[in-house]
Amino acid sequence: MRIASSYSLAPINSKLKKDELSHLLGRCLFGVSIKDFEFFKGKDINQCMESLLKRSPAPEMLAQDDPDIIDPLVPRGTQWINAPYESEEIDKKRRFYLKAWWVGQIINRDYSLTEKMTLFWHNHFVTEMDIVKDGRYSYQYVHTLRSHALGNFKNLIREGTTNIAMLVYLNGNSNNKEAPNENYSRELMELFTLGKDPHVRYTEEDVKAAARVLTGWKDDKETLQTNFHPELHDTDDKRFSSFFDHTIIKGRSGASGAIETDELVDVIFCRKETAKYFCRNLYRWLVCAQIDDRVETEIITPLAYILQANNYEVSPVLRTLLSSEHFFDPAFRGCIVKSPVDFWIGASKQFDLAFPAISVENHLCWLHYMFYLGGLSMMIGDPPSVAGWPAFYQAPKFHQWWINSYTLSFRMKIIDSLIAEEGLNCNGPRIKFDFSNFVRQLENPEDPDKLINSSVEFLLAMEISQSDKNRLKAVLLSGQEADHYWTDAWNKFIADPENKENKGVIETRLKEFYRKIINMPEYQIM
Amino acid sequence: MNRRVFIKNTALATVLPYFLGSLASCTVKSGKQKPVFVLIQLIGGNDGLNTLIPLDQYPNLSKARPNILIPENKVLMMNGATATGLHPSMKGVQDLYNNNLVSFIQGVGYENPNYSHFRSSDILLTGSGSAETLYTGWMARYLETQYKHYPEGFPNQTHPDPPAIKIGDTGSFLFEGYKMDMSIVIDAYKSFESPEIEPSGNSADTYAAHEVNSIREILLQTKSYSNVIEKALKNKFSHSKSYPKSGENSLADQLKMVAKLIDSGLETSVYLVDLKGFDTHEDQLDAKDPTKGTHADLLKKVSQAISCFWEDVNQMGREHDVSGMAFSEFGRRIKSNASRGTDHGSTQPILFFGADLAGGIMGKNPVIPDTVLGSDNLALQYDFRSVYGSVLKKWMTAPSTDIKEILKGDFPELKIYKSRS
Repeated sequence: MRIASSYSLAPINSKLKKDELSHLLGRCLFGVSIKDFEFFKGKDINQCMESLLKRSPAPEMLAQDDPDIIDPLVPRGTQWINAPYESEEIDKKRRFYLKAWWVGQIINRDYSLTEKMTLFWHNHFVTEMDIVKDGRYSYQYVHTLRSHALGNFKNLIREGTTNIAMLVYLNGNSNNKEAPNENYSRELMELFTLGKDPHVRYTEEDVKAAARVLTGWKDDKETLQTNFHPELHDTDDKRFSSFFDHTIIKGRSGASGAIETDELVDVIFCRKETAKYFCRNLYRWLVCAQIDDRVETEIITPLAYILQANNYEVSPVLRTLLSSEHFFDPAFRGCIVKSPVDFWIGASKQFDLAFPAISVENHLCWLHYMFYLGGLSMMIGDPPSVAGWPAFYQAPKFHQWWINSYTLSFRMKIIDSLIAEEGLNCNGPRIKFDFSNFVRQLENPEDPDKLINSSVEFLLAMEISQSDKNRLKAVLLSGQEADHYWTDAWNKFIADPENKENKGVIETRLKEFYRKIINMPEYQIM
Repeated sequence: MNRRVFIKNTALATVLPYFLGSLASCTVKSGKQKPVFVLIQLIGGNDGLNTLIPLDQYPNLSKARPNILIPENKVLMMNGATATGLHPSMKGVQDLYNNNLVSFIQGVGYENPNYSHFRSSDILLTGSGSAETLYTGWMARYLETQYKHYPEGFPNQTHPDPPAIKIGDTGSFLFEGYKMDMSIVIDAYKSFESPEIEPSGNSADTYAAHEVNSIREILLQTKSYSNVIEKALKNKFSHSKSYPKSGENSLADQLKMVAKLIDSGLETSVYLVDLKGFDTHEDQLDAKDPTKGTHADLLKKVSQAISCFWEDVNQMGREHDVSGMAFSEFGRRIKSNASRGTDHGSTQPILFFGADLAGGIMGKNPVIPDTVLGSDNLALQYDFRSVYGSVLKKWMTAPSTDIKEILKGDFPELKIYKSRS
């Protein structure tokens, strides 16, 4: 296997070439349209980073505006996120609303890494909405992830530890001095911070001590807040193993018992294993699933140092990694199999799919997108387990877990619905690709060879063979030998774009042409 | 996710066509056929102590888990087992046990138990020891002895059907072979469609080319098995009337599909289905009625699914060809926690079903000490690889040398089956 030739974190100093910019944006933005690409074109790497790392306030939840949802406690056009809990039936609808809204945020992403990193945190610091079973709680969870998306790892974990949804999800709310519940403390160490590599030798006793530190937190369904209950808190000292240098967290009584939680987070974040574990996960998310010894020493270790030196701010790490010679090494082009979000939302972004302007209709489309992501085994808001999606942790297959006989067929099938004449019917609104509009933005679309080259270059992360290109050309030319049949048809269309017949000739061929490209295995990678 | 909602909401929702005229299912059902093994994975860590209940330990059991105790008089009794009973919601399994169609193995696990869901399920599915990491599934390693060099040369005349089938929307480590996943994944709620595939390949030596070629392999594999699977799914089999409505019990829905596939005459010898939700750290049972609640609902689903499935197996006359087991990544802790739940534990009882079982309950009831600490676990009685080895030996009739190779060692054989003659 050809491996990377550069293991340097030094910034690339040349101006970004076309393919380098595609690589960078493809990894950061869930699908890149021609317009998106134009926005970044000509910028140097620092200017690109300025956009990608730009923080903006987390958006507020939209008011409930779905005529199909009857929520007696929330009149249409008002917020439900602070409304009283109604029933499981109503709450399920609220949760669907929330998940669809989240999908909508991804579809409407700006030019920053915010959505890419929000989803990263979701996969790293998991709760499952259908287990938490209170949309209002889960809204707070999502809000926390998004607020910290480009922020501080340590703050996120500290805040998340007592987040109202997490308290329910991993039973922190029933963790008390009489019978400590170690569910959260175990996952805190194993999945959220230290990781479980064999050399990370914290002990079962550490898990139990941490659980005792965290006793006393409870959610309040009325105020939607988390409160600390000193009477439920274990006030004895908590002793940790040699892995934590025999640290003792002194038992505290009264309200100050809550401080122990801060101290526990300090203790865990003092360990460089925590920084390394995060950097490995981030590396897998953005660069490549495979981490060999050299990547560990020359990339992960220095990144972890940067993370710790910046007190767990993630931006410096993202900046260093995404600007590095290593990141742009050609060996990594196309080494990640697209997740359902990258595939499904990504395709919609690439072809600049127009969503309805009316918000109710938009919501129905988002809802559809959410269900389809679920069908592709990536239901946002409900990862399969507390470890997230297997594609991001299950060695050695990693992203290939997305692909099997069922999901591959399904990926192709849902794309077909965006190509078909009817379009994707979202229980009312219909959306579909407008290929002629897409092609108009390419250079020299009248020349079939140039159209093929620019399409493939823009849509695929790797070269394809000449015989593949010939097959694509046969589609454009409907089996004719001479290029001018396409050129004539295109010029006729451009001369009178409103003419239905001219447009029809173009669209029929383009539909089949892009359908073929999307159905290529090469389209599944990024 | 709620699949029924999904189906309702998608324009693509399709119903499998049942062609009355297609009599493709007229397979010959005479004589001994290839054995089929059905694995039921209970995801989350099933609480064995509240599944197969040690009646002789009640005094200490009620001290260790006062808030999740099943009332003694509600426990279901099984013929010939005076000291061990079943969770009240497992009526179907009780009947099967009484007819010698279900048996149990107590205290299955491994040395140095790992309490991580992920690591422990990897251990169970790959068949590794606690300290070693394997990257192929134990069943895949068996199937590789039957389908040598898979996928090269498959399907072929003698082996037209997929080696394994996973019901659901994701593959499993269980079937992960040396070269590729040996299973075809079929969703129980959606139609199966063969993908399109272009003939070219990519020979470049890059990560990208490697990924693309893997995807191409899956496309080719799916395509090459799609005809037999589409045909098998059109098999018109009249299922047992006892099945619940579709969507009510996902395990029953999955096993129903397995029944249909088996009846169609597929030579596929291994199926995997699963049920999520066994991670009962909290509110394992109802505060008012200890025989109800989360765990009771789950066990009811398991029990109902297995007994409906067995009615189907009977109906097709394949009871001497079909057997299976239900297992979890681990059992749960002896002591309950304050939130009417249990934390991750070590050993578990494994359930077997089939008509050729040696029967009964293998192993002893777990011993519950007088004083139980939060960290105490049930003793290990049988290494899980002994269980696998015995299945391979007696049910799949694999040669001992292969078994040693598959399990990376020798494990004592257990008398789970009467000899399959």
